Amino acid sequence: MDLGFYTPLGAEALLTALAVLVILLGSLMKKSGNLMGYLTLAGLVVSLGLVMSTAMSTKLGVVFFFNTLSVDALSQFFKAVFLVVSTLVVIASLSRYKDTKGADEFYALLLLATVGMMVVSSSIDLVTLFVGFELASLSTYALAAFDKSKRNLEAAMKYFIFGSVSSAFMLFGFSLLYGMTGTTKIAGIASAALSNFAPATLVALIFVIAGFAFKMALVPFHMWAPDTYEGAPALVSGLLAAGSKKMGFAAAFRVIFVALLALRLEWYLAFAILAALTMTLGNVLAIWQNNVRRIFAYSSVAQAGYMAMTFVVVGAALGQPNGAAIAQNSIAGGLLLILGHALMKMGAFIAAAVVGYMVLKDGLKEGSDPDDISNYAGLGRRAPITAFCLLIFMFALAGIPPTAGYIGKFVLFGSAINAGLVWLAVLAILNSALSLYYYLRIISYMYLKEPAGPKISEPKGYAVALILTMIGVIGIGVFPQPFYNWAMQAAAVLLPH
Amino acid sequence: MNYISLMIAIPLIGAIISFFTRTRAQARMVALIASLVPLAISLQMYMGFDKTSKIMQFVESYTWIPSIGVKYTVGVDGIGLPLVLLSTIVSVLVIIYSWGEDKRPNQFFALLLLNEVGVLGVLTALDFFLFYIFWEIVLIPMFFLIGVWGGPRKDYAAIKFFIYTHVASLVMLLAIFALYFTYHMPDGSRTFDMLTLLQATADPKIFPPGLLNIIFAGLLLGFLVKMPAFPFHTWLPDAHVEAPTAGSVVLAALLLKMGGYGIFRVILPILPHVNKIFVTVIAIIAVLSIVYGAFLALAQKDLKKMVAYSSVSHMGFVTLGAVAFTWMSIQGAMFQQFSHGLITCVLFMSAGTIQHTVGTRVIGDLGGLADRMPKFAFLMLAGFLASLGLPGMSGFVAEFMVLTGSYATLPVFTMIVVFTSIAVTAGYHLWATQKVLFGPILKKYLQVHDAHSYELFSMSMIILLAILFGVRPNLITDIMGVAAYQVMGPVVTLTQMGVI
Repeated sequence: MDLGFYTPLGAEALLTALAVLVILLGSLMKKSGNLMGYLTLAGLVVSLGLVMSTAMSTKLGVVFFFNTLSVDALSQFFKAVFLVVSTLVVIASLSRYKDTKGADEFYALLLLATVGMMVVSSSIDLVTLFVGFELASLSTYALAAFDKSKRNLEAAMKYFIFGSVSSAFMLFGFSLLYGMTGTTKIAGIASAALSNFAPATLVALIFVIAGFAFKMALVPFHMWAPDTYEGAPALVSGLLAAGSKKMGFAAAFRVIFVALLALRLEWYLAFAILAALTMTLGNVLAIWQNNVRRIFAYSSVAQAGYMAMTFVVVGAALGQPNGAAIAQNSIAGGLLLILGHALMKMGAFIAAAVVGYMVLKDGLKEGSDPDDISNYAGLGRRAPITAFCLLIFMFALAGIPPTAGYIGKFVLFGSAINAGLVWLAVLAILNSALSLYYYLRIISYMYLKEPAGPKISEPKGYAVALILTMIGVIGIGVFPQPFYNWAMQAAAVLLPH
Repeated sequence: MNYISLMIAIPLIGAIISFFTRTRAQARMVALIASLVPLAISLQMYMGFDKTSKIMQFVESYTWIPSIGVKYTVGVDGIGLPLVLLSTIVSVLVIIYSWGEDKRPNQFFALLLLNEVGVLGVLTALDFFLFYIFWEIVLIPMFFLIGVWGGPRKDYAAIKFFIYTHVASLVMLLAIFALYFTYHMPDGSRTFDMLTLLQATADPKIFPPGLLNIIFAGLLLGFLVKMPAFPFHTWLPDAHVEAPTAGSVVLAALLLKMGGYGIFRVILPILPHVNKIFVTVIAIIAVLSIVYGAFLALAQKDLKKMVAYSSVSHMGFVTLGAVAFTWMSIQGAMFQQFSHGLITCVLFMSAGTIQHTVGTRVIGDLGGLADRMPKFAFLMLAGFLASLGLPGMSGFVAEFMVLTGSYATLPVFTMIVVFTSIAVTAGYHLWATQKVLFGPILKKYLQVHDAHSYELFSMSMIILLAILFGVRPNLITDIMGVAAYQVMGPVVTLTQMGVI
């Protein structure tokens, strides 16, 4: 066996080994939260380096383990997103889980969740994809309950039940596909004559979409998201919104665009409805929330609606002459938005974590909500770094240039117009305008209202994570060229040559 | 020399430094220096500007996002340069006027500088992508200026301002997308280059009339809301009433001009190729803005609100002159932009000074202030006279040129309506000054002292400039002359000009 052949999967191997090591060391040592944190951080950073170096190299498109995992531009793009998100979570956690009992488990679960997401992004086989999906999901179910407060448990329970049901849907869809085509390989399904199995293919498609849509939190499969994002530890909510949700897109991109290309018209219609509903409902509901984490949750739902536009645009474009270029551009836009949203939402939840910490220091009143928007009053003066970063994230989420959120929307909405989907682009743009209201509302609480308490010293881990994220969000907005090129390469993987 | 990039970069750096200063003295000194440098640069550009040349000058062009055809291209011609000059002048004076700001001065001055960055960017960008970015950036400092330093209903006003104008920008963005995706460069690639796209709109084979009409309407909406023209003006009074004085000045003197600039830069080159009904619609909007703005101003009790509506009325002249589409009217409209930008500063500064020395802006509660504030009264009176169009000051020249130029192409009844409104304009200006400044001084104002010296300095500088450009309008109109011709002819791209 030539180990050198497997180096492109080095990052996954390293993280898995590290997860085991962290648990082992954690059981031997007491009060080792910080050590485990730095160890995990180092592992994630090295993995990110490995993934990036593979992405830069020319050896892309290699397949492993009997055609089940592929290392290509798309997989590396998603892996980089997941690793960046996890790295940010760990940096922030260094302040949060310093001396907490069981911090080692937190880091181990986080590592396993990351590995699961990375496997999904590489999978070109439905079974591996499902295994990766479950690995990530099970780890995050546990993480969602990590602080073991009542709110945590409720959030985790809800997430677990919805997640299991959606997994069941997805698996059922997969099994139908396997039954019809006799293979679980994505390429194999793509080349099989699916249309011979007429009504059954539709059932399979519905189940597969429903399964993914739960993870992506598309309306009407979004119900778990606000409750879970509100109740889980803030950093875990960030991981769910910024990382785990993107895993849904990674999986759906391959399965829908490649395996189910023959059903283009059907999924085009389905996603047109889902995307339109999701962005509109997400934004409308966000306006009425007073809990900031719920606002983030609904904003995240709305953003998923924008991302889901990718499916619609690709569906429409592939039916047109020269549609491949439009489709590629649209997927690139979707990927840029995914990258941007991962950063913006992660940053937003880290900021929410800082506020949670601050409220705790103030002394939480009985029965009051730590994430209530009133706690953000005067944050600009109470926690200047946090408030400023959150300000940038809010503008970025609203799509104000020059930020990552703007570039993603710009390319994606532009491709919608290019594909002739003017109604969709107009709807998305109206939604962007609508969303501005609740983002501005948070900003106006932070900067226009009088502070509700004294200035606090912001924990270093949070501050570092926030500043790094902010630099990323602005950096992508000002220098989008390399990211756009990378996204275009990744998009090319999904399209027929 | 990269004049333009420097001019944009220095206030940006100044904004960052000012944000991190600890005392008011530091913050305002940084702000003053960071705004004086762009003023010096723009004066240098004014001196070095070739008035007879038809090409864009001081052009800089660098590739930025080549795969989607975005370039960092900036440059000025006779449309942009006078407004650049206006922006740098007003930015300096508004910073001097705010010398005594004591609420979070570091942030206040940083926002004023950031605002200058955005405005200068809009006025010089020659790439739609870049243009849109600066267009949106401007909203952010204004949002905070209104929201943090504003009056009692500041939250509402700030959010309304942001969302209202942002929606209009988004509509404009859709239209930009449509331009971008319809036009291919000869080599098949796409471009956001403004002049190239505008030139292409002349070709009905590329832009079928139906599509072009829609694109045109989208762009027009974006600019009319910013100007603001009737019936899209409703965000303006709220924003002005709640904004702090410096915010109002910048809003009226610079932000509204961005809308007018868009009309000249983008709308007029397309106008000859779209349905003729648009000319009528825009002319009606212009006339209604002039008349309706004037009558609303007449009805106001709040001095600042009155001034705000007078802006709507005066900006109507810009639209009117532009759409009349004669050389003189276009030049007059461009000059009106410049002139109104100056004069409106004095009006808002007057309202602001009255507010914080006397404590109210309600016209009915004021009286006889000239008795205790003689210097201020003199400047305010001069400003109001300039605004109502007193010959010898720049406002008169501008409106005269617009009306004379429009007479040839617009129906006579529009002229009659506009002339009537000029009487109304004179009416509310005189009535307000008379009530506020003259008559016996009210007892409660006996303790009032004259305005601060820095306020008086800013106001008097503007009055001097208004007189200077009233007596010697050719200082500015000479620059605009060629551009006003250019606007009416076909667009020439930078490559064809031989600039890049």
